[in-house]
Amino acid sequence: MTGKRLSGVTAVALAGILMVVLMAAGCLGSQPSGSPASPSQQITVTGSTTVLPIAEKARETFEDRYPSTSVLVSGGGSSVGVRAVGEGTADIGMSSRDLKPEETGMYPGLVLHHIADDAILLIVHPENSIESLTLDQVRGIYNGTYTNWNQVGGPDLEIVVIGRDSASGTREFFGEYVMKKEDFIRSQEEFNSNGGIQQKVSRTPGAIGYVGLGYTEGVKQLNIEVDGNTIEPTLENINSKKYPITRPLYMLTNGEPEGAVKEFLEFIMSEEGQQIVASVDYIPLQG
Amino acid sequence: MKKEEAAAVQSGYPGWSGHFRREPEVPFARRGRHLTDLIVGKLLFIVALLAILIVFFIIGFLLRDGYQIVLEIGLWNFLAGMDWNPAGPTPSFGILPLIVGTLLVTALAMAIAVPLSMATAIYIAEIAGPRTKEVIKPAVELLAGIPSVVYGFFGLILLTEWIRILFDRPSGSSWLAGSILLAIMAIPTITSVAEDALSSVPREFREGSLALGATRWQTIRRVVVPGALSGITAAVILGMGRAIGETMAVLMVTGNAAIIPEPITNVFSPVRTLTGTLGIEMGEVAFGSMHYHALFGVAVVLLVITLAVNGLARFIIHRIQMTPARSRASGAFMQSVHNLIPVSLPRQAKRRVIHPRTTQRFAFLLISLGVVIVLAALGVILLEIIVNGAGAISLEFLTAPPSNLGREGGIFPAIVGTLYLVAGALAVALPIGIATAIYLIEYTADTRLTRGIRAAVDLLNGTPSIVFGLFGFAFLVLFLNFGVSLIAGQITLGLMILPTIIRTTEESLRSIPKSLREGSYALGASKWQTIWRVVLPPALPGIITGAILSIGRAAGETAPIMFTAVVFSSRYLPSSLSEPVMALPYHLFILTTSVPGADNQKFGTALVLLMMVLSIYLVAILVRRRYNRATVM
Repeated sequence: MTGKRLSGVTAVALAGILMVVLMAAGCLGSQPSGSPASPSQQITVTGSTTVLPIAEKARETFEDRYPSTSVLVSGGGSSVGVRAVGEGTADIGMSSRDLKPEETGMYPGLVLHHIADDAILLIVHPENSIESLTLDQVRGIYNGTYTNWNQVGGPDLEIVVIGRDSASGTREFFGEYVMKKEDFIRSQEEFNSNGGIQQKVSRTPGAIGYVGLGYTEGVKQLNIEVDGNTIEPTLENINSKKYPITRPLYMLTNGEPEGAVKEFLEFIMSEEGQQIVASVDYIPLQG
Repeated sequence: MKKEEAAAVQSGYPGWSGHFRREPEVPFARRGRHLTDLIVGKLLFIVALLAILIVFFIIGFLLRDGYQIVLEIGLWNFLAGMDWNPAGPTPSFGILPLIVGTLLVTALAMAIAVPLSMATAIYIAEIAGPRTKEVIKPAVELLAGIPSVVYGFFGLILLTEWIRILFDRPSGSSWLAGSILLAIMAIPTITSVAEDALSSVPREFREGSLALGATRWQTIRRVVVPGALSGITAAVILGMGRAIGETMAVLMVTGNAAIIPEPITNVFSPVRTLTGTLGIEMGEVAFGSMHYHALFGVAVVLLVITLAVNGLARFIIHRIQMTPARSRASGAFMQSVHNLIPVSLPRQAKRRVIHPRTTQRFAFLLISLGVVIVLAALGVILLEIIVNGAGAISLEFLTAPPSNLGREGGIFPAIVGTLYLVAGALAVALPIGIATAIYLIEYTADTRLTRGIRAAVDLLNGTPSIVFGLFGFAFLVLFLNFGVSLIAGQITLGLMILPTIIRTTEESLRSIPKSLREGSYALGASKWQTIWRVVLPPALPGIITGAILSIGRAAGETAPIMFTAVVFSSRYLPSSLSEPVMALPYHLFILTTSVPGADNQKFGTALVLLMMVLSIYLVAILVRRRYNRATVM
């Protein structure tokens, strides 16, 4: 008799629980048959979104090669990588910059592994007639000296300055290498990713931006003039370091790597691994 | 239905004859019941305190990492500094441009959203026929279900482009773009709450007004809207809360330049908001650096602004509620009666050169225009995503893990990851939320403590999702050392949807007539028996609706999970709570911003996410409709 009302509530509750269980079961059940049930060990890799494509591509081949190991790759940024490895929440960190004094102070055990190099390209809208700039001109644009393309030999068009956010490793490098530590113009539009800048530049006639090598769809790459020579950002020029704006990319471990972590890093440094580096538009290490 | 319940309660209680025969047992049974009541009451009380505790925890943890910046550069330099240049040769951490940016974007967004929302709400509540209403109301509510990263995606690709071309500006990333996007996002919230308020104005007021010869527009303007004022205010405040706290969409369209527009009315200037700053810089900042502390300082300021807006809202609503809705409406009603009788006010009658019917026609035209704009916005966004995304959907896309950075393969782990996150968030929030609501409605009168709990819930409700993300990161990921993991994301999302669940449960408990409870007590049922068997069952549909709406919100959020739970890609599904997962909103965010040449997958992911969230909302709407029909019968 008293059970009557109770059963109403319980029935709905049961139905709800059943639904969740079924949903979960359905998901587990439909796991693709190709993937092995559960790999016995895991490596977690986290950090810079710039380095991420290398780790991600390497993971695909590595997991085929070592089926007992699963590699979990996540982004978040260079600092996330440093912190995660330092705190032990990840096995490998990725960073597109050197360690900062605060970081080496906090985590003295970190070991940097130089795994590849990255070039930074200057990009403009495809309809912009400008072909090349000197590094001084680039600095002039980014610090606000030039505000119209006709001041640097281009069309009469207002320059829209696009850059990375102030926590970005790419911006830090650009700030030191190209800007010589001068301040950026304050009206610079900021995006937190290469892709964001590429999309913005490809849709804005007056825009200029800087991105990594892979982000050139729908935009025009500028040549850089060094000592009167115009240098195209071709793979050849970049690999030979003739093209001036390149920087190192790192993976980090806390102490010297061991076991599966060591295997993964060795895989990336191997010839095959370096081919992967090239295939995702980064510069492989020479010898 | 109600009679049935009363009968059930009656039959469940021992009748007279039983009472006589089992006399000695009764005190024991009573004592047992009292004990249960006591224990349940205490338990619910403890759970309800959690809301306050969470607020203190959030504030505490943000302050823990944020106070150094004030020590270092001084409060005034931090709040009123004109330069935000944390990575410059001489770093500066002035956040005034960010505060101004947040306020400007929000203000303009409200200026766009409030008239459109009011028009839509009035149209749905007062003008539309039942058929039209059945279509438009859910359509507008579906707008609320579109995940913010989808809006951002739309804004980045189309909106900024249109603004650039239409107004012939060098760049379309601007204050205006941010405000338009936020307005579209705030409209569903404002519209549905305002529409509820309008619909709850008693019918006889309208009939009285019309009977006196007022036009429908005069009735709306002078009787219905004044009567619903407190609800409308609440609606605007809620919408404003959503606008201030929005992160992912805003950072994709405002250009993020930390400047105050010159002149201040230049809507085409790029601006940067507090949330946008957190969204783009948090991931890359070096831990323990001044910049890191400054970002937590920004989060505290954001929280304080939210607190202020909430406080203001509570104050306004309280002031309005001092005069009960009914008497206020009837006051307005009386006044409108006066205005309608020409004899009593001959002066006004003479001055009236425009016929009221003309005014009405004009007003209705404007209202219809507003509705059309809102529906067009919905249509454009949906169409764009469906047309471009349909091509990407295939069996492989839905069942395979991604490869080649998401350019190939599918999104299966992201779909599962999102389901796990949502299920976990519900498991966290549902018990706590329902218990808190029961305590607030059934167990306490209006004491200082309950006011505290309510204030805490309101504050949580207005807390920007990115602040939850930062809290989850500082507390769960780092302090408790969970690492970036499924469980950290589930708890963070659970906290985020907690206020929604508490609110909706409270509402549906409140709507249960007092007489039902009194009947139950009169029959000798204990408090807990009454709640469990009499109050909860009819409140269930309302609670379920709330839960479903929360599912939609949790499934679509990026900001709370991006520092706490997600990985870029994973071939395997997580096998324990301590592993990170993939999630659809984050996958879309990454594909949009960091992976070139994945256009197909991008639109496909957006479509899957949209469909998932929209179908959850659709279920909510259907549940509610069924429930409404049941109560009508």
